[in-house]
Amino acid sequence: MTQSALKTTTEVTPTARLVVPVGRLDFEASSSFQQAIENTIKEAGGAPVIVDCAQLDYVSSAGLRVFLVGARAAKLDNVPFCVCGLVDAVRRVFVVSGFDKLIAEHPDRAAALAAIK
Amino acid sequence: MIGLVEELVLLGIEDDGAIAHTAGSADFGMALIGACLVELSNQGRIDADLDSLRLISTAPTGHPVLDRVLALLGDGDQGTVEQWVTRLTIEVPELLRLTLRSLVTRGVLERTETRFLWVLRSRRYPVIDGREQKEAKLRILATLLGDDLPSPQDTVLLGLARVGGLLEAFLSVAEIARLEGRIAQVGGIDLFVRGVESAIREVQAERARAMMLPMF
Repeated sequence: MTQSALKTTTEVTPTARLVVPVGRLDFEASSSFQQAIENTIKEAGGAPVIVDCAQLDYVSSAGLRVFLVGARAAKLDNVPFCVCGLVDAVRRVFVVSGFDKLIAEHPDRAAALAAIK
Repeated sequence: MIGLVEELVLLGIEDDGAIAHTAGSADFGMALIGACLVELSNQGRIDADLDSLRLISTAPTGHPVLDRVLALLGDGDQGTVEQWVTRLTIEVPELLRLTLRSLVTRGVLERTETRFLWVLRSRRYPVIDGREQKEAKLRILATLLGDDLPSPQDTVLLGLARVGGLLEAFLSVAEIARLEGRIAQVGGIDLFVRGVESAIREVQAERARAMMLPMF
């Protein structure tokens, strides 16, 4: 297997927790990304979780499933969950697969933070 | 515990053990291939996006049906999920045979053979205690009737049952129509299911085009 080409960081703001994936989200990267999302939801204490995808260049089928797992975990924990900043290539995958109808999406981080206030 | 491939085939078994009419259709066959691809993806052998299906590892899974598909993927040219579903259609009878055999070996089904008019053989696969089949149907119903976000596994099972024409085996036409919104919302949110759906649509369009051709 090739090495993961995704770096994920987390940020805390006064109103939300952010997960920031940078690079390519494919099968190899999906496990660590899922871990990052699940940990953030657990630590959020009810605060909203935003996945800022502005630097996410690519998402595969395996990566897409992580968004569903994350959104589901957030809903079960009553944590508001959304994505923002989807680049065209990633947005296309979200739209074709119908994820855009299941997960709240905002154009950028500012819009996402404003929406969850 | 049985996997997605076996669950899908179980949904195509009638109460009397006959393989449902839908299970012999091209749509069901393509859904079965989709189930194999999803399982291979879950086991880290393949991944896919809108433009290609990517082989990650050719290491056997130990599952005869999946390993057959994996070997074919390894031998073939690159392609999209839709192209691979179409290419693998020729393998459906063998994949179905191997899956039924696996279900018989696991004690989920039994194989019986009767003769009709002393000549024509009729093979049936009665379900032994029905637990696995009932569980698969209940998972689909729970996904359809609930308003929670389903798990990726439940989404895929519903999606493949939908595109494979298997929902009709346990839901009435009126129920399917009533649940249409929910089916469309959660029954396709997977790129493999989308690929199967596109392949089925292409076959249907091809058939329609063929019927429009002038006879002379």
